[in-house]
Amino acid sequence: MCDVKYSDVANAIFKNSKYLTEDEEIPDLSKLDQQKIYAVENPANAEAFLELKKRTKARIGLGRSGPRYKTDTLLRLRADHAAAMDAVHLPVTEELLERHNLFCVKTLCDSKATYLSRPDLGRLFSEDAIALIKEKCKPDPDVEIYVSDGLSGIAVEANIDELLPAILQGLEAEGIEAGTPFFVKYGRVAAQDQITKVLNAKVCVVLLGERPGLATAESLSAYMTYCGYPGMPELGRTVISNIHRGGTHPAEAGAHIAYLIKEMLKQKASGQDLRLK
Amino acid sequence: MRDSIISVGIDLGTSTTQLVFSRITIENLASDFNVPKIHIVDKEIIYRSGVYFTPLLSSTEINAEEVRSLIALEYLKAGINQADVATGAIIITGETARKHNASQVLNMLSDFSGEFVVAAAGPDLESVLSGRGAGADKLSKANGIVVANLDIGGGTTNMSVFRNGQLIHVSCLDIGGRLIRIENGRISYIYHKIKDLALSKNIVLNVGEEADKNKLKEICRIMTQSLAQLLYMETAEPELSRLFTNGAINYPESLKIDAVTFSGGVAGLLYGAKTEDCYQYGDIGVLLAEAIKESAWFQKIKIHQPDEIIQATVVGAGIHTTELSGSTISYDPELLPIKNIPVIRIEDSLVYTGAVEKGYKNINADGMIAVSLSGCLIKNFSDIQSTAEMLLAEMQFLRESRHPLIIVMEEDFSKVIGNAIKVRCKKAGEPCSMICIDGIAARTGDYIDIGVPVKTGRVLPVVVKTLIFNV
Repeated sequence: MCDVKYSDVANAIFKNSKYLTEDEEIPDLSKLDQQKIYAVENPANAEAFLELKKRTKARIGLGRSGPRYKTDTLLRLRADHAAAMDAVHLPVTEELLERHNLFCVKTLCDSKATYLSRPDLGRLFSEDAIALIKEKCKPDPDVEIYVSDGLSGIAVEANIDELLPAILQGLEAEGIEAGTPFFVKYGRVAAQDQITKVLNAKVCVVLLGERPGLATAESLSAYMTYCGYPGMPELGRTVISNIHRGGTHPAEAGAHIAYLIKEMLKQKASGQDLRLK
Repeated sequence: MRDSIISVGIDLGTSTTQLVFSRITIENLASDFNVPKIHIVDKEIIYRSGVYFTPLLSSTEINAEEVRSLIALEYLKAGINQADVATGAIIITGETARKHNASQVLNMLSDFSGEFVVAAAGPDLESVLSGRGAGADKLSKANGIVVANLDIGGGTTNMSVFRNGQLIHVSCLDIGGRLIRIENGRISYIYHKIKDLALSKNIVLNVGEEADKNKLKEICRIMTQSLAQLLYMETAEPELSRLFTNGAINYPESLKIDAVTFSGGVAGLLYGAKTEDCYQYGDIGVLLAEAIKESAWFQKIKIHQPDEIIQATVVGAGIHTTELSGSTISYDPELLPIKNIPVIRIEDSLVYTGAVEKGYKNINADGMIAVSLSGCLIKNFSDIQSTAEMLLAEMQFLRESRHPLIIVMEEDFSKVIGNAIKVRCKKAGEPCSMICIDGIAARTGDYIDIGVPVKTGRVLPVVVKTLIFNV
């Protein structure tokens, strides 16, 4: 359970704001679990309301001041919105790439602005990039797994440390060998089809940051194909979305993804053609 | 994708034996783009047996043969084969549980009724099942209040208390309609605790004496007062503590109960029409129901209609015992089903403490056991590796005696922990016979049963014979 009360943090911000020096950090509002906060004064049954709140991410039961939000609620809404915007623009750190021994290639996008305005370029690679992938990666892998920033670098930072090793361990338990993992900057989902072609992979898995929302900026998805190819129909992709600590924990999701990879290799299929019991 | 399984519930009570069949529907509630979340989405009773008097050979022995043929007849009438029954529970309750062949009868029926039908007994479990069967949990959740269900049967009164749908308390009193029996106008049986209770109020009652309606009614009033004390409507007298079937364990000092539901045979008389012959059933059931209706406390409390009255316990046994494991789990199909495995609950830890071996000795176990933990310490992949290593070390002595690893946890990490264990066994070149499931809470002293996978193959039906029920 989250012991810190929402209003405690807000109070701390207000009471201490005039004493804060430039180096001091303001407590982070968005660290509190919104679903465990009930802020209506003199409630008839707060416990029952909190039970209901477990079922939705909607911002309910937060009280009001006249017709308006309380200050805490408004600040939280703005904090979450800011986090969503940060998630799009913050780059994935070098440290993360080093921790997992991932080399980095870029799509044809030269900046975040191009990436956002030209989805087509986020699916293609330069000849140099393709040469680098060919040089560094094991060819003809049964499974090629790579990481890409997509629309949320924060999601990559928040999940890859748990997700990637959990997938690899799951494959190891099943006796399946994975190819060389790497990182694609400014990547769209269908970039995986180019990579499948370049490496001649059977299964290709991209772990990609999802478009952030007000509920979370940390959600990541895995898109998986069996014998994908550039221009393939979208129904050929198997997707597991909502991977983050508030959704499916990345470690348990990794174990499930390993199971799906095993099934894809066994059934020689993905997307709508994959039959799961 | 929907799937359904058939569950049986059988209740061998003090006075009656009943059976229900129900259909439990399961469905993956997650979309195709998410990790599956398979849940029970519907529970429907598809067949109810008649209400039979529990066949007895003598006052200390159940007529096992007749019980068996009675159950066989009901399977036939319902058109259901033993092989169709995927899960369920048989519960032996009240005075019947005190008969000397109770456990043999229970096991015989368990084997007869279906591959994965579990045997259960104990007043605490009975309290939970009757409360859920009566719908007191739903009522408390829907209204955000504290609801107590009193299941007043022949031998015992089982109380369960729910707050916002969660079980918060159970207890059981030796108060019931068949604790004094009347044959041919004379008292033929008095349960010793009731005799003592009457004596404490200066009423002397002996077997063989003529049934005096006023005197028996007065005894029923005294029994009724005990119920009021149990509900915290009146101050508890010292006599109350002697009436608890299992002693007054964990009985809270005070408890605010917002509403009450009644179930059980005596409750049937309570909600039903007035009967002419007060000894109609050869016992004091009718008088007890009258005494409750007339008492001052009964007028004061808020009473709700239960979902089930007479069949609350059997419906509870049929519908509310089976849970489903989480949807991402690890298991070796050859190990299933397993029945009656003692549970050892360990404190969550990322390092070896020897807790399992210590627990094993404490409960004098000598075969398979299931290790239960919460998983609340797990935050990241490295914690998972530590937990897998801790579990392997804790259960090393079990592996040496060729027992499988049975791990039951609450948090959704069983598939990834299963992988971490498998990889380690593989590297060491050791076999890895394992069931690792999540979504289930169990504690030391409980017994766990894990069934064969339901048709989807993703989830396992689980029965924890305990007080902790997952919601």
